[in-house]
Amino acid sequence: MAAPIPMLEGYKVLDFTQVLAGPTTTRYLAEMGAEVIKVEIAPNGDISRGVPFIRDGRSAYYIQQNRGKRSLCLDPKKPAGLALLKELVPKVDVLVQNFAPGVIERLGLGYEVVRALNPKIVMCSISSLGRTGPLADRPGYDYIGAAYSGVLDMTGFIDRPPVFPQVGIGDISTGVHAMGAILAALLYRERTGKGQHVETSLLDCYFSYHEANVQLLSASHGAMQPKRAGSHHYLVCPAGIFNGKRNPVLIIAGIDHQFPYLCRAMGQPELAIDPRFKDLPSRAKNAAELIALVQAWIDSLPSDDELFRLLEENRVPHAPVLTVEQAMNHPHLRERGTVRTIHDRQFGDFDAPTFPLRFSEYPEPLDLTAPTLGEHNAEILHDYLGYDATRVRQLEESGVLHHGEH
Amino acid sequence: MADAKPRMLDGYKVLDFTQVLAGPTTTRYLAEMGAEIIKIEISARGDIARQVPVIRDGRSGYYVQQNRGKKSLAVDPKKPAGLAIIKALIPKMDVLVENYSPGTIARIGLDYPTVKALNPKIVMCSISTFGQAGPLADRPGYDFIGCAYSGVLSMLGDPDRTPVLPQVGIGDITTGVHALSAILAALLHRERSGIGQYVETSLLDCYFSYQDLTVQTVSLSDGKVLPRRSGSHHFALTPLGVFRGKKHPIMVMSSAEHQFPDLCRAMGKPELATDPRFKDNPARTANSAELKRIVQEWFDSVSDEEALQQMEENRVPHAPVLAVEEAMAHPHHRGRGIVQTINDRFLGTFDVPGFPLRFSEYPEKREMEAPLLGEHNAEILRDYLGYDATRVRQLEENGVLYHGDR
Repeated sequence: MAAPIPMLEGYKVLDFTQVLAGPTTTRYLAEMGAEVIKVEIAPNGDISRGVPFIRDGRSAYYIQQNRGKRSLCLDPKKPAGLALLKELVPKVDVLVQNFAPGVIERLGLGYEVVRALNPKIVMCSISSLGRTGPLADRPGYDYIGAAYSGVLDMTGFIDRPPVFPQVGIGDISTGVHAMGAILAALLYRERTGKGQHVETSLLDCYFSYHEANVQLLSASHGAMQPKRAGSHHYLVCPAGIFNGKRNPVLIIAGIDHQFPYLCRAMGQPELAIDPRFKDLPSRAKNAAELIALVQAWIDSLPSDDELFRLLEENRVPHAPVLTVEQAMNHPHLRERGTVRTIHDRQFGDFDAPTFPLRFSEYPEPLDLTAPTLGEHNAEILHDYLGYDATRVRQLEESGVLHHGEH
Repeated sequence: MADAKPRMLDGYKVLDFTQVLAGPTTTRYLAEMGAEIIKIEISARGDIARQVPVIRDGRSGYYVQQNRGKKSLAVDPKKPAGLAIIKALIPKMDVLVENYSPGTIARIGLDYPTVKALNPKIVMCSISTFGQAGPLADRPGYDFIGCAYSGVLSMLGDPDRTPVLPQVGIGDITTGVHALSAILAALLHRERSGIGQYVETSLLDCYFSYQDLTVQTVSLSDGKVLPRRSGSHHFALTPLGVFRGKKHPIMVMSSAEHQFPDLCRAMGKPELATDPRFKDNPARTANSAELKRIVQEWFDSVSDEEALQQMEENRVPHAPVLAVEEAMAHPHHRGRGIVQTINDRFLGTFDVPGFPLRFSEYPEKREMEAPLLGEHNAEILRDYLGYDATRVRQLEENGVLYHGDR
């Protein structure tokens, strides 16, 4: 049976993004079948082409973030380069950029210009702190957004500085927010014919992750002050990470109906009615003591397997805290394809996370490759603008277009 | 005020079985964009979140933050008349969202084949901790449990202590936004093809996907380089992390080759840039303990103001790590609506995060309220199914419908 036409087949995206947040948006659009023209600024293109691991000049970081895109590498500061981009704008549905605020305007492609060229276009801007406001002109990165959001301050131990996220959770989740905004705007466009400028930022998204802190502080008029609390939840106890023999162990039994299950697992059912621990507020007050009791119980068991058996039997929600390599090798993740192998023609094979959205009409992922720098210059200019080989060569010779080996 | 123009997703109808945080994020963002959300609450207590603090006068601030803009239909699907109501509504819906543990919605009588038979064009979305199938699928699931199985949780914290909890609902909320994107993509596809779909995502899939570097690190080193939590600093890029300031922790990003000399100048130690111990990132990472000590000593030797000023002048990307209450009070966040004040009929005014997606056609946010339990029973049954007041009253008396005063 022929594969169904990919979901976003026919949608064309002009992609100015670099590194991680924006490229997440556009690689997920590519996974769903959109055609993505990755505009790379000559001579080096996306900065992430220089991020390790690098083998024979090819970056695995770049590959993971750019499969399924076509590369157009040019110098937009040359008039012919900007002219080329302006010719492409009417032929695409979406334009995505994550430059620092002001940059795309200085390049000559602010929303007013873009909309005049193509009123139906959906333009999406991603920034670190937002395009306007007192902080808008600050250098933007994932972790700077995290720092300004109050989220970073909540992670770690109170007797030490906050800890660093170590994974690109801010950039990637913000990229997905941007994708949501683009898709909503495209849906709106289907019905009204109108384009839009949509926007999000690392700071907007990180701040939105305060499902409780903001409301707690505000509605309690400052009486409840969220503070980082290390391995254990700052309000609910027991809900946190204990020391196992092999792995740390996450146990969640802080809600009133869950706590007695843990007490039974521990062989100490009487703890459930102990005045120190009988409800949520008393457990929060005596958290240190309770945590110590649970840890002592865990320490007394012969093995982690015995711990899991007892927690399992008593229906206590828990998990081993897997290392990255343990997660990669877990049969559940392997079987579901959560971890998959990328085949790159230059780099070879390596593992990476899969596209986390699943569609019943599209159970098979697309076979995608990450382009070399400027790989599709001729093809794009020919297909979209009707340029012939001579004209393309002239543009390369005059430095308007550029290409590289990797 | 003049008639507001129809909102972006005006006319879209969502049957919402979700509870607590992940699924409610999806549906509240659809509400922000103008969709009609019918929140199905299947027990006399309704959404568990109605029980989560801060609770004042019986009303939960947590519940309010997650459920503004929705209508509540509180109906017991275990009673034949209740299930009949839901099945009669399905043909009139565009989207159905649920985040029960796998198998639950099927036991209620609403698996996708059944729903699809009632409405082939519907987009049905399931959110779960581990996915709908696989070895872990039937385990009790929460945000941090998905995090534990993904490898991400192991990366948060200090090497000499157990991992730390994120202390914000980042997994649930970002997974909700992934689901939102999947739904919107499927609706866009439906506009063109007329075909509905079943879409799915999970906490585990999303958390695992945040690993821009760690997974490929394990894979490319054949398991020889194993990412481990490294406290306040990035595990592979140096210097990049959180230092102790006098008033705040301070995030500094200076690991790129062109950035590091700027930090050295800011510290008044330009010679460090060519010091063989620190001359490139691999060297700096190998000698990170020493370099971090030098940088921390500098912070210890100056006031926060002086440090920030020096970094500013030398263009070193940095940020103060704001506490939650500082973020809430910052004029940038206030001005952009990143934190917004909402008004609840019971709790009065309090602050919550703003909607992180911005649309040029819709600069003003929607005024929305969180419903009481079953507040819209009569309205929904009348408007959608033509039930009169008598019939609705009978259903309430028979315990098919519930309602509450909060």
